[in-house]
Amino acid sequence: MADTITLLALFQDVDPAADAIERLRKLGLDDGQMNVISGIPVLERVLGRPKRWTNVPRLALGGAGLGILLGLFLVYGTPILFAVHVGGQPLYPVPPGIIIVFEMGMLGLMAASFIGVFLDSYFPAYKPMEYIPAISDGKIAILFTCPQKDQARFVKAMQAEGAESVQPAERRPL
Amino acid sequence: MAVTAKSLLRPRAHTEEEEDPTEHLLLDPRPRGEMNAMVMESMHTTSWKFWIVTMVLALIVAVCLFGAWGYMIANGLGVAGVTKPEYWGIFLVNTVFWIGISHAGTFVSALLRVLKVEFRRPFTRAAELMTTFGLVQAGLSIFMHLGRVWLSYWLFPYPNERGLWPNFHSPLMWDFMAINTYLLASTMYLFMPLIPDLAMARDRSTGWRKVFYRILSLGFRGTEGEWTHLKTAMNIFAFAILPVMFSVHTIVAWDFAMATRPGWSSTVFGPYFVVGALHSGLAAVVVVLFIISTTMKNMKYFIRPEHFDGIGKLMLMITMTWGYFFFNDYIVEWYGGESISRTLQKFLETGPLAWMWITMLVLNFVIPLAVLWNRRWRRTPWVMFGLGILINIGMWFERYIIIPDALTINRMPFTWRVYIPHVEIPLTIGTFALFILLYMLASRLIPLVPVWEVQEGQMAHTLRKFGKAKVATKAEIE
Repeated sequence: MADTITLLALFQDVDPAADAIERLRKLGLDDGQMNVISGIPVLERVLGRPKRWTNVPRLALGGAGLGILLGLFLVYGTPILFAVHVGGQPLYPVPPGIIIVFEMGMLGLMAASFIGVFLDSYFPAYKPMEYIPAISDGKIAILFTCPQKDQARFVKAMQAEGAESVQPAERRPL
Repeated sequence: MAVTAKSLLRPRAHTEEEEDPTEHLLLDPRPRGEMNAMVMESMHTTSWKFWIVTMVLALIVAVCLFGAWGYMIANGLGVAGVTKPEYWGIFLVNTVFWIGISHAGTFVSALLRVLKVEFRRPFTRAAELMTTFGLVQAGLSIFMHLGRVWLSYWLFPYPNERGLWPNFHSPLMWDFMAINTYLLASTMYLFMPLIPDLAMARDRSTGWRKVFYRILSLGFRGTEGEWTHLKTAMNIFAFAILPVMFSVHTIVAWDFAMATRPGWSSTVFGPYFVVGALHSGLAAVVVVLFIISTTMKNMKYFIRPEHFDGIGKLMLMITMTWGYFFFNDYIVEWYGGESISRTLQKFLETGPLAWMWITMLVLNFVIPLAVLWNRRWRRTPWVMFGLGILINIGMWFERYIIIPDALTINRMPFTWRVYIPHVEIPLTIGTFALFILLYMLASRLIPLVPVWEVQEGQMAHTLRKFGKAKVATKAEIE
């Protein structure tokens, strides 16, 4: 939209970044209009941000369920398709079945967690994004969208909170 | 009359007071940019010696691994020493050994992460890499053991042209499923915490490296959402991969224990194998950390005596546990008094490979127990390096004793024969060379230190005045 602008304010430390987020709220922005980018994971409560939703645990449970079903099919389904009698054992033995079901369940759980990170984070994302390499040097960036006419006011507020730089966020190839 | 007691020992200052807090990596912070530069420099600084070693290793791999394997494929499994009664020889010894090595990565990384043990931070990746490359060697050893390797796809869980599925009641099939689960899981577990460091490398690289890191870092920026998803998945993995790790080596043990053979049919084999795997794996971590810290630039800042000390304490605990399980296995067989078990035990202790049995006990139990009690030795990297090598020799011997040596004695005395390896020897050398080669090449491409985890730890730790002392204090910011 032409009447808004996305700015990137860069901070050296967590404390001024947390204060700056509070200041942005006071200036009328809601949490959906800002994002924090950092070189280490910073807890939401440290920055006073709402907790992020993640689908990874639910996907993991779903994956575990599918894995268990696959394991059950391999152990108890395949003898139906073609019976293999193993010396003295019943055709559908429970103890050996537990092993395969366990392995498949765990594989499903972990594979789904891994895929969940890709799905939730929209990986791989090779298109140009708002980012500056200083972030991986330990700086904390606040990315926020504000009305274009108020840009100067927001820049001044961020600088007052200790921002090292405040500039229009540039989409750059990562 | 008042009597004053005097200590006969020389009074010593309290060691805690003598310790400089900045000896600890997490209490000796440096700016993140500087740490990034140090890690990048360690990857980029490659001397001619490195390439000479690499070429020699590549030559060994070509000749000893692929050359000897090709020879064995062309001439059949008969060129190996495996024959009646030792159908399982060094290939299986190597399989068990490398799976054992692979346990360290998960143990160090996942268990210490779950328990929030802080000294883990700089070396988790170095250990995780060992897991992946160790499993590659284990897989190769199994393929060698198969003989007709081109038929290995028969193991995959799908029906053949007659609709016949693999037998999922077989311990060998459990093994296949467990090792593959572990290989996939440990590779994913290696990759996830690597993504932020690959993004860091992407931001500081040019040319082909930039393209390489750009592809692998998947467009990671470090947004709140990305960190949340990544940390959640890492936590799930840390908890889930531990039982898988235990299951893998337990199932490997069951390959033996499910057979009603003397020396093998033991209910204690599962945990005994797991502890043995941790014993060799932790020793291998120490060896790798010593080599990294002495040969790679800037690594002495990240890998310090405190890390050898911390792993040394774990090794001491594992040494005692290994000794306990060994004795448990031994005494039950001995006390049972079954004729064939007695014969086997006597053969192991006094037979042609008795020297290996005694050396195993000395290297796996006596020497580690003597060395690891001493804090100063635990904090001396070259001592720990030497100990790590000795333990791994001892653990390889242990697997040799359990597999071909124990197979010599069975219930049919007319088949008794001592196993003599042939083509297995160059193949074993080849797998060791391939492991080192892969690790060396990875050290030039992958940041071996998870810088973001180190910074996170450094931010959480501060020194606080407590009475007259300055003590380390940790904030729960994870």
